[in-house]
Amino acid sequence: MPMYNKLTAFKVLVGGAITGNIRNFWRQLSAFGKVSHLILVSLVFLAVFSPYLTLYPHNVSSGPPLAPPGGKHLLGTDELGVDLWSMICYGARVSLMVGLFTSLLAGLGGGMAGVIAAYRGGWLDRTLMRIADIMIILPDLPVMIVLAAFFGPSLRNIIIVLALFSWSIPARLIRSQALALKEQPYIKMAAHFGGSTAYLLFKHFLPELFPLLLVSMIRLAGMAIVTEASLSFLGLGDPTSRSWGLVINHAMNFRGIYFTPFWKWWLLYPWLFLTLLVSSLALLGRELEKIADPRMMKS
Amino acid sequence: MKKTPVLSFFLIMLLFLILAGCAPQEIEQKAGPDAKDTKAVETRTEERIAKAEPVVVRLEGGDWGYPTPFAHYSRGPGSALMRYIFDSLLERDEKGYIPWLAERWEIFDEGKRYVFHIRPGVKWQDGQPLTARDVAFSFNYYREHPPVWKDDLVLDKDYLLDISVLSDRQVEFVVSEARATFLEAAGRVSIIPEHIWTKVDKPDEFSGPEAVIGSGPLRLVDYSKEHGTYRYEAYGEFWGPRVRVDVLEFVPVSDPVLALEKGEIDLASIPADVLHRFKENPAYTVMENPGFWGYRLRFNMQKLPEFQNRDLRRAFAYTINREELVEKIARGEAIPGNPGILSPHHRWYNPQVPQYEHNSEKARELLAGLNANLKPAYELLVGGDREVRIGELLKEQLSQAGIELRVTSVDMKTRDARIAEGNYQLVLVGHGGWGQDPDYLRTRFVGAEGDWFSGTPGYANPEVDRLAQEQLKETNESRRKELIFRLQQLLAEDVPEIPLFLTTGHTVFRHESYDGWMHVFDHHAPTHNKLSYLERE
Repeated sequence: MPMYNKLTAFKVLVGGAITGNIRNFWRQLSAFGKVSHLILVSLVFLAVFSPYLTLYPHNVSSGPPLAPPGGKHLLGTDELGVDLWSMICYGARVSLMVGLFTSLLAGLGGGMAGVIAAYRGGWLDRTLMRIADIMIILPDLPVMIVLAAFFGPSLRNIIIVLALFSWSIPARLIRSQALALKEQPYIKMAAHFGGSTAYLLFKHFLPELFPLLLVSMIRLAGMAIVTEASLSFLGLGDPTSRSWGLVINHAMNFRGIYFTPFWKWWLLYPWLFLTLLVSSLALLGRELEKIADPRMMKS
Repeated sequence: MKKTPVLSFFLIMLLFLILAGCAPQEIEQKAGPDAKDTKAVETRTEERIAKAEPVVVRLEGGDWGYPTPFAHYSRGPGSALMRYIFDSLLERDEKGYIPWLAERWEIFDEGKRYVFHIRPGVKWQDGQPLTARDVAFSFNYYREHPPVWKDDLVLDKDYLLDISVLSDRQVEFVVSEARATFLEAAGRVSIIPEHIWTKVDKPDEFSGPEAVIGSGPLRLVDYSKEHGTYRYEAYGEFWGPRVRVDVLEFVPVSDPVLALEKGEIDLASIPADVLHRFKENPAYTVMENPGFWGYRLRFNMQKLPEFQNRDLRRAFAYTINREELVEKIARGEAIPGNPGILSPHHRWYNPQVPQYEHNSEKARELLAGLNANLKPAYELLVGGDREVRIGELLKEQLSQAGIELRVTSVDMKTRDARIAEGNYQLVLVGHGGWGQDPDYLRTRFVGAEGDWFSGTPGYANPEVDRLAQEQLKETNESRRKELIFRLQQLLAEDVPEIPLFLTTGHTVFRHESYDGWMHVFDHHAPTHNKLSYLERE
C-alpha cells in the first residue's frame, strides 16, 4: 500500500535521522544520492564558514586584476582584482538563501493552500485552485523580469517574487493527495470521534503529506536558484550583492571574454558551482522521491 | 544502467574543472585567417580596381532609426547615419571646420550678420538643384518642427533674427549679438530639400523613400528596422570628392570580434585584451581612437548643501584614483579625466591645471578640516553593467578616505530621468561630445536657474559665470582660447564635477576591403563621418 510506504519513508527521512538511524537512511541512497548529499553538505559548509575559508574579502579588490588561478588567489581574480574564491564562497550564501527561503515560503504556503483547499472544498477550493491555475499558465520569467524591474533589485524582492510564482505547483500536488487522504476510513473515523481540524491536520495530514512536500520543495529550491542566477545575469539582481549569477553576468559583460583566457576562471568556476548545486538538488529530489514512493524503484 | 549518463556527467564536469585550472594559454595562439604578405594584398586590390569590382564595405548593424533628421535615434551612430545622406553648410575634417555646401562665408557688423555662399552645381539625389532657398527653408522648417539633433541657438527666434535669401547662391543670417558658437551651430544644420518637405506636416512620421533624399555622398536604398540593417549606395552625381565606397552595408552580427575575423564586417571596435590577435596579422590595421567619450561623477549641490563646500569636492578628487579606473575598468584603453573638464585630447586642453594626483592622506586632511555635516553614506546612482563596476571601485576608493557610498543601480533611461529631476545625491554618467566646442563648459556650470540635465544646479562661481559669458561673445579664436584656458583653471580649482576617464579604444579594419577610415577632430568614431568614405587629398 503506497500510503503505508510513504509513512515509513517519512519515518526513515525525519524520524530516522532524529533517532540516530542515519546509517539506515544512507544505505537506502544510491551512489548519486550519496554524491549529491556530499556536494550539498560541502556547499552549505562553504556558505556557513565562508569567513574562515577565505583569505581575502569578497567585495573589495585584493590583488591584480584578472590574475589566473593559483598562487595567492586560489581561483584567480576578476577585472577589479576581487578574489574569485571569496566571491564563490559568499555567493553560495546568496544562492542557498534564495533556494531555502523560496522553497520554504512557496512550499509551506503552497502546501497549506493545498491542504485547506482539499479539506474545506467548496468555493475556497475553487478560488484557490483557479488562482493556482493562473499562476501556472503565466509565463514566469517575463513576468518576473517585469516585477523585478518594477520593485527594484534586492534579494528580498527576488525571493518574494520567486515564491509568488512557484507556490502553485506544491499546492496542486498536495491538494490531490489530501483529497485522496480525506476519503481514507481512518481519517473519517477520527473525524467522527470528534477530532478537531487542527488535530486532523497535524496528526494525520501533515505526516502523510510531508515527504511529498519535501520533494517538491527541493525541486523548487533548484528552480529558485537558477532563476535568481538568470535574473542576476540579466542585470535584475541586487547589483552589489555577489551572487554567482552576478559574477557570471559581469564576466559575460567583459568584452571579448571568449577570446581571452579569462573565461577559464572568471566564467567557468561560478558556472561550475551553480551547476553542481542545481544538479545535486535535482538528484536529491529524485532520490527522496524514490524512497517516498518505492514504485519508482521498480520502473 | 540508467545511472551511467548522470555519473559520467559528474565525471566530465570534474575533468573540466581540473583541466581548466591547469590549461596553459594555448587558446590565445589561435590566429585568425592566415597571414598574407602585403604584396599579394596590393596586387589583389589593383586587380579589383582594374576589374572595376564594386567596393562593398560592411559594418556592424543595429537599429538606429530611419535616417531622416527627424526620425534617427539621438544616441549612438543615429545622427551619423542621417548625415551620410544630408549635407550641411560646413563639415569637419581632422583639424576643424571646412567649407562644404557653403563654399565660403563672410561675417559683417562685428559678428552680427553672416552671408553663406552656396556651392554651385549641387544636386539633390532626385536630380533637382540645391539652392540658397533650400538652406533658408531648412532653418525655418526646423523652427516649426525641431529635429532630433538641434542647437538651441539656431532655433531661437530671439537670437537668430532674420534668415533671408539674397540670391540663388547666397543666404544671409542676422543675429542679435556676436557669439563664438553660431558659425558651428549653423554650419551643422542638415539641409533638407524644400520641394519635398514643404508638403510635410508631421516630419517624424514621414518615412517614405522621399524622406531620405539629401545631397550627400550616399543614398539609402534599403532599411529594415526589425533586422537593424541599412544599405547605402554611392550617389553618382555627388557634387564633392569622389565617393570611394560603392556599397555600404550595416549587417547584424552577434559578436563583432568574430564577425571581423570571419570577414562578415570590415571594421570593428576591438577590446584591449583581444587586440593582439589583430595586431600580429598583416591583414588588419589598428587605429587608436581619441578620448571624446567619457564618464563623470556629478554632485547634487542643491539638495545636499555640503557638496557646495569646495574642500569636500576636492577630497573626492584626491581620493578617486582615476589611473586605477583606467587600468581596471577600461583595461588601459582610456585617459584619466581632466579636473579642468575638457578632454586631454581636446584642441583647447589646458595641461597646467591642478591635477589632484591620488592622495588619500590629503583627502583625509581636507575632510578633517571641514566643519560640514557629512552623511554616514552617500547614494551613488549608476546605470547598468559597466557603470556598476565603476561604482564598486569608487566605493572602494572613497572608503579609504572615510567616505562611504551606497551604489544604486538602475537602467540607463531611469538614471537619465532621475538626473533630469535632480533626484540623486551623486550620479555617474557617461556620454560622448567631449571633443565639441568648449562652450559646453558654460552650459554645464553657468546658470543657477536649474537645468538638471545639462547644468549643475547649486553651483555658483561669479568668476566662472563672467568668463563663460565672455568667451561666448569672443569671436577672435586666440583670445577665446585664452579665456577657455582660464576657465579650465578655475573649474579645476573648484571641482564642480569629476571627469573620471575618457575611453580611447581601438578600431581595427581590414585594409584590403577598404582603408579610407579617418577621425574628425572632435569625434571618437571613424564611421561617424562621411569623409571616411570620400577620396581625400
